[in-house]
Amino acid sequence: MSWLLILLIGLPAAAGAALAVAGAKVDRFAAVLSVVVCALVLATASAASALRPSLAAPFLAGSEFGLSVDALSALLLPAVAGVAFLVLLYAAASGIGTPARFHGLMLIFIASVLVTVTATTLSALLFAWEIMGAASYALIGFHWRESRRVSSGLTAFVATRTADLGLYLAAGAAMAAGAWSRDAMSLASLDSLPGPWRDIAAAGILVAALGKAAQLPFSFWISRAMDGPSAVSALLHSAAMVAMGGYLLLRVQPLLAATGWAADAAAGAGAATAVVLGFIAIGQQDLKQLLAASTAAQLGFVVMAAGVGDAAGGAAHLMAHAATKSALFLAAGAWLAALGTKKLADLRGAGRRWPLLGGAFTVAVLSLAGIPPLALWATKDNILTAAREHSFPLYITGLAGAVLAAAYAAKAVALIWKPVLRETESGYDTEETGSRKVTPWQLVPIGVLAAGAAVSGLLVLGTTGDTVRGVLGSKAESSPLELAMSGLLAVAVLVPVWVLGGKLPPLPGALSWLHMERAAHIVLVRPVLATARSLARFDDAVLSRGVEHAAEKVLHGARSLDRTDAALDHGTDAAAAATSRLAGRSAITDHTIDGAVSSLARSVRRAGAAARRPQTGQLHHYYVQAAAVIVVAAVLLIVVR
Amino acid sequence: MPEAILFVVLAVIAVAAGVAVFRTDSMARASYALAVSFVAVGLMLLQFRLEYIGVITVLMMVMEMAVMAIFMIMFMGMNPALMPMDMVHSKKLSAGSAIGLFLLLTAGILLADWPESRGPAGGDLTASLGEAIMEPKMLVMLVISPVLFATLVSALVLANPRGRYSTYPLVPVEDADDDGQGKGQDHSGDSAGHAAHSAHGMDHGAGNSDGHGQHHGGGGHQ
Amino acid sequence: MTLELALIAAAALFCVGLYGALSQQVVVMVMMGLELMLNGVILAAAAFWWFLAPAPDGQVLLLVVIAAMTVEMAMGFAVAILLHRSRQTDMTEMASDLAG
Repeated sequence: MSWLLILLIGLPAAAGAALAVAGAKVDRFAAVLSVVVCALVLATASAASALRPSLAAPFLAGSEFGLSVDALSALLLPAVAGVAFLVLLYAAASGIGTPARFHGLMLIFIASVLVTVTATTLSALLFAWEIMGAASYALIGFHWRESRRVSSGLTAFVATRTADLGLYLAAGAAMAAGAWSRDAMSLASLDSLPGPWRDIAAAGILVAALGKAAQLPFSFWISRAMDGPSAVSALLHSAAMVAMGGYLLLRVQPLLAATGWAADAAAGAGAATAVVLGFIAIGQQDLKQLLAASTAAQLGFVVMAAGVGDAAGGAAHLMAHAATKSALFLAAGAWLAALGTKKLADLRGAGRRWPLLGGAFTVAVLSLAGIPPLALWATKDNILTAAREHSFPLYITGLAGAVLAAAYAAKAVALIWKPVLRETESGYDTEETGSRKVTPWQLVPIGVLAAGAAVSGLLVLGTTGDTVRGVLGSKAESSPLELAMSGLLAVAVLVPVWVLGGKLPPLPGALSWLHMERAAHIVLVRPVLATARSLARFDDAVLSRGVEHAAEKVLHGARSLDRTDAALDHGTDAAAAATSRLAGRSAITDHTIDGAVSSLARSVRRAGAAARRPQTGQLHHYYVQAAAVIVVAAVLLIVVR
Repeated sequence: MPEAILFVVLAVIAVAAGVAVFRTDSMARASYALAVSFVAVGLMLLQFRLEYIGVITVLMMVMEMAVMAIFMIMFMGMNPALMPMDMVHSKKLSAGSAIGLFLLLTAGILLADWPESRGPAGGDLTASLGEAIMEPKMLVMLVISPVLFATLVSALVLANPRGRYSTYPLVPVEDADDDGQGKGQDHSGDSAGHAAHSAHGMDHGAGNSDGHGQHHGGGGHQ
Repeated sequence: MTLELALIAAAALFCVGLYGALSQQVVVMVMMGLELMLNGVILAAAAFWWFLAPAPDGQVLLLVVIAAMTVEMAMGFAVAILLHRSRQTDMTEMASDLAG
């Protein structure tokens, strides 16, 4: 069965690499190929969820490359694959410059996400985690000709990568504790590490997951990441990459529970993010920035679920949010392509112009707000119930976050259905030239995702909810009273804000995301660069100067040796000249030697001529010679023996 | 005693005949002398009770002398019996080396310390020779047989009048021509052979007495 | 009939043959000299056999010598014929191609 896993991961990886490498030559069929490949991936993911394969290959010393589909990943694999398929369908329908590079990178990203979801060892997880980060950098900065987009990609990449150091720390702790045993770095055995190593591993993983999921204090990068194409935002920043942060925490939830403080920290961070980023979302004027802030806020709920031990609720919320947020991002992308703007004020009346698109957008927004009977209402309540059982202040904070979610959802949808004003048209085409068209193929994925957003509530309700809870081992179940109360609360907040046209008083600092990015620059970036510069100066002044001094000394030594050698040569030459002069003076020596040599040559020549004389050709001569030789030999033999 | 005398007589005859081979003027006589020498040696072998080998020697040598006489006639001309000849070169050197070697060998024979006899010869020597060559000394037979066969073949090949390289004639030369011409060719071949013999410097008809003087042209070594 | 006597006779034959081989100009006469030398060898071998080791196996050597003599005769006459056919001569001086 492990071939299923190999197929699942190898297919998008190979197709993506091929497309990315082949480049512009395959632009014509890149989109079709990627959609087909993703459809196959979806089918394979569904099969893998049903069949639960596993695979282990030797990788590093002390750790295997382990993949397997267990209960948690069986839920998520089809969800992630489905969202990816629909996003790629949208991207193929709406078109993008250099499609081969885009689809190649997306497929590679999808492959790394699939490995992350199915990883069972830290080494496999790290491997895929890093590839995800690299692919996200390339995808966010896809339109590289605009330097601001590239620097956004770099910001996102460096922020998440800095957080990833936590994962390396956890891997190091696991290896130090496990001492090279075979499953030292498997995720399932992290909660059984001995004392301090366990705390270090939990801290590391927590930091990495918070960074990836854009929780506080890392949330600034998701704001910059909105500079990427809409399809990228729809996949990475709703369903795949940031979700993986939450997923990681859900997977190592036993470790968090075993280390008491880590679970509390996670829950607290998640709740705080839900509230703070809810405020930030309300203060946004750009649709994509609002959606980005809401992504971080909703993922705060998932992180809180991991902290309180509600794996089923967290997973369900993850999946429902994936469907909802990608539908919202794709709709924003469609409006951006059609109208050339993504400012909320300039999108006034867009719903009336394209009713189907507006309808799908509205359904997804209502789900985001938590209106019954849509998905996020039920899943959020499940998490809040588990939080209430854990600690009451946590529950109140979560509830505040839910209220804020309703508010910003209403803000997002408020102006869509209002009639177009005269000055609205002047705001069009500010970001790019709009095409004033929304093709049906763009609508299909948005519609499917909106439908998913509507019905995914079943993951926590009714019999399916019971199955999911049983499989994942969670016990929290919201009572009908709670559900009704939260639904009422959401409606109560949504309606007034909608009617008001989304005009809410902005909070100070909300628009600029509480200056988190500047803070990160001051706290981290500038000191690091300053240290680097001073180290460089040290190297130039001290180290290389030392090397240069040494080189100079060597050169000195070589020159003096050269002078000595020249002197020796002089001496030798003089001696040789003297000797030859001396030799030339004695002609006798010359004569003697030459004479000896020539007389030797002459005697040899004579001997050679003499040696020819016995060869007369006459038979009797040969006989005489033979007889003489034989007689001499016989006499010698007799005498000697 | 009588054996010893017979032996000495035979030895003297053998040596004298050997000397006579080279002293005589006639080719035929030289061959006969050699035959006599061999017969004497064969008889001496019979004295040694080497019956088989002695008889073989005698028979072989007689045959060989007949063959040699034929060759003499073929090479030397029509009147072999009466021509004086003394065709020698480097007479002094060869005589000197021969006498010197004889003295050396005699000295060696007389001075050498010959070992004792290992016992008398017994039994039927011929039969025992046959058995020896058939059983322990079979290798000798095996080697000599192919060597003799090879000698046969190679001698024929070398002596073939057509030579080794000329092609086989489709029609025999004699049948293609007239009988008279064929015979004439044979005669001319003979006369050519005679002419060649005369090139040796020997006068057949007229120069019998000058046979000594005239030798072939090519530097006679004296 | 002592060993020495027989050997001296053999030596005499050998040396006469040597004289002939060295001094004769006609090829056939040279071969006669060689014959005499082999004659002497046969006699010497027989003398050794009779006086020192009269075993049946020793006679095989004599047979070998006789066979060698036969072979030598045959080849010698064949070569003499060739010489005569190609150079119309039977003198050894005419066959001095090995000179030099």
